[in-house]
Amino acid sequence: MDTLAKLQILSGAARYDASCASSGSRREGPSCGTGNTSLGGICHSWSDDGRCISLLKILLSNECRYDCAYCVNRSSNPGERTSFTAREVVQLTLDFYRRNYIEGLFLSSAVFQSPDHTMERMVRVVETLRTEEHFGGYIHMKIIPGCSSELVQKAGLYADRISVNIELPSAASLQRLAPQKQKHSILEPMALIGREITSSLVERKSSRRAPRFAPAGQSTQMIIGASPENDFQILRLSQGLYKKMNLKRVYYSAYVPVSADNRLPVLAAPPLLREHRLYQADWLLRFYGFSAEEILSDDAPHLDEAFDPKTAWALRHPEFFPVEVSRADYATLLRVPGIGVTSAKRILAARRFSSLTPEGMKKIGVVMKRAKYFITCSGRSFEKPDRPEAFLRQQLLLPGNREAALPAPSRQLVLPGIFA
Amino acid sequence: MSCMNRYLYDGTADGLLSAIAWIIEEEPDPEQVLLLERKDTLFEEGFFIATDATLAESLFFRLRHHAPDAAHTLYTFMLAEKEGMETSLLHYVALAFTHGDKVKGHLTHPGVRDIVTVSRKAERELHRMKGLLRFEKLQDGAYLAKMEPDHNILHPLAWHFSRRLRAQHWFLYDVRRRTAARWNNGSLRFGTIEQFTTPALSDEEKKVQAMWQTFFKTIAIPDRKNPRLQKSNMPMKYWKYLTEKQGE
Repeated sequence: MDTLAKLQILSGAARYDASCASSGSRREGPSCGTGNTSLGGICHSWSDDGRCISLLKILLSNECRYDCAYCVNRSSNPGERTSFTAREVVQLTLDFYRRNYIEGLFLSSAVFQSPDHTMERMVRVVETLRTEEHFGGYIHMKIIPGCSSELVQKAGLYADRISVNIELPSAASLQRLAPQKQKHSILEPMALIGREITSSLVERKSSRRAPRFAPAGQSTQMIIGASPENDFQILRLSQGLYKKMNLKRVYYSAYVPVSADNRLPVLAAPPLLREHRLYQADWLLRFYGFSAEEILSDDAPHLDEAFDPKTAWALRHPEFFPVEVSRADYATLLRVPGIGVTSAKRILAARRFSSLTPEGMKKIGVVMKRAKYFITCSGRSFEKPDRPEAFLRQQLLLPGNREAALPAPSRQLVLPGIFA
Repeated sequence: MSCMNRYLYDGTADGLLSAIAWIIEEEPDPEQVLLLERKDTLFEEGFFIATDATLAESLFFRLRHHAPDAAHTLYTFMLAEKEGMETSLLHYVALAFTHGDKVKGHLTHPGVRDIVTVSRKAERELHRMKGLLRFEKLQDGAYLAKMEPDHNILHPLAWHFSRRLRAQHWFLYDVRRRTAARWNNGSLRFGTIEQFTTPALSDEEKKVQAMWQTFFKTIAIPDRKNPRLQKSNMPMKYWKYLTEKQGE
C-alpha cells in the first residue's frame, strides 16, 4: 500500500480525537533543523467540520487487538487495516511542516501485539524526528495504557504534550464498553506524568539545562453520550483531574455512532449541544472561579439546554445581582452572564481613566445582550430592577438573545488553546 | 474645531512620526491639535512639518522604552497603512507618554479606541497568516509562498519564518504590494519585485500536495459538517493560495 492510501485510512481513524492544541510550549528552532513552537499555538487550517487543523493527526496503526464498543477501530469492525513505517511518518511530518501545512505531529495508535510493543514503535518515530532530523516543531503523543513507565518517561522527553485517554466518565462504563482496558492502567500513567512534569519544572529552576518533560502539560479525553453518567458526575471528574492530576485540558467528544453494538445507545445525531454546554462549564471551572458543585447538584444533575451554565447559575442566584460595574472586583465581574475574561479586564482597565457610563460600556466592547439584566453602571440600571425570574428567563430566550440554535460546535474545539 | 491648531505632513510613515514627535515637543496640549496629510489643494490650511527620519526613529525608541506595549500597538497600527487616522495616532502617542502602557485600556477615548481597534485587526491577520501561508517547493529546492494580505505584514511574517524554517531557502511574496522577502543561509533580505514569473515546481511537489489535500478531506468528521464555521474561521479571501482549497 502506498503512503497516500495509508494516510487516508490512518487519518480517518484518528479524526475522533478532539485535541488539536499546539499551545503551551516555547522552543527555539535548532539552526540545522526544522521548526520551533509558539506559546499561543497556531491554527493552520479549518476542516469541513469547522474544527481547527493544527497538527498532522494520525494513527501509527489501526490494527487493534482491543474491541472497545464505541471505537471505530475496534477489532470486530470490518474495514481496511494498515500501519505506517516510522520513516513514512517522519517524512510526512517534515514534508508538511516545511510547507507550513502544520504546527507539528499528533501521534496516536491502535494497540497491536502489546501496549509496550506499540508504545515502543511510537517512541521510535518521535525519537527519529527529534534526534536525527532535528525537528523542533510541536509533538503531541498518546500514551498507550498498560505500557511500561520507562516508555512513558521517554515519550515525555521528546513530546511537548502527552495524554492518556480516560475514554469514559466512570470505571463501570469502562468495564462494560471497553473490557480490555482497566481504570488503573489509565490513572497510573496520568499520575506518573503529573509527577514527572512537576519535578522537571523544579529541576529547571535550578538548572536551565535540565531536561524538559512534556512542557505543554498533559490532557485527556472522554466520550460523552455513549454511557449513562450525568453532567454532574462528568464535571466533578474533570474538576478532580484539574485539581489533583494538574491536567491542562479535558476534552469532551460527543459520541458519534460508529457501530450498532447493543451496549450503546441509539442516537439520531451526536449530542453536540451537550458537548458544547460541557465545554462552557469546563471553562467556568478553569477560568471563572466556579466549582462543579456551584454549577450542578445531585437534585439538578444536568446542564440546562436552553441557557449557558453561567446564565443558569445567575438565574438561581438573584441575591448576587445586580453587580455594580464601576466598583465590582474581577472575580465578581466574571460571574455576570455575558461578561467574559476579556470584557472583565477591559472594564478594570477603563475604570482607571474615568467612571464608566452605559455608553462607555458599549464603547469598550462589552456585549450587553445578556449582561444588561444583571448589572448597574454608576448606580444606573439598564433594565428595571427587581424583575421576577420568570420575566428574565423569557427575555433571555427571545430570539435576539438566544444563542444560535443547535450545531455551533463549541468554539473551544476550534481555537487551539488560546488559554490551554 | 476651527480653534484647533492644524498641522500637515507629507503622507509618509516617517513624516507622520516626525510630525507627532514635533507636536508633542512644541504643543502644550496635543488633544487640541489636528494632524492631517498634505493634499496641496488651494485652500488647505495648516502648518507643514517637514519630515525628519532621525526624529521619527527617536520617537519610536523613546516610546518603546517608556511603554513597550503601546509601542508594539503603534508598530502593528502602521502595518494597516490606514489613512485619515493621524489625529487619533497623535493623541494615542501623547497619552502613552503620560500614562505608559495603561493607555491601551483607555478605550472610552475615541482616538485610543481607533488605534487599538485597527492594530488589533492587523495583529489578527498576522497571526492568521502564520498558519495560512503555504509554501511550494521549486525545482531548485527553494520554497515559495504567495499571499495577498489586507495589511502590510511581510516584515513580521518573514521574521516569524526566519526563526522557524531556518535550514530552508525560502521566498515570501506579497502579490498585491509586489514586495518580497528572501531567507537564505541565515540572512533575511527584503525587496520589491517588478516582474514576477512563476517558477517551475519540483517533481515531488504535486505528490505532497495531493497528500495534504487527502488529509484535509479525511480529517473532518462527516456527521459534524459545518461549512459556516469553517468560513468564519478561515475567510474565503484566503482560499486563493491555500493548497487544500484549490479547485473549490
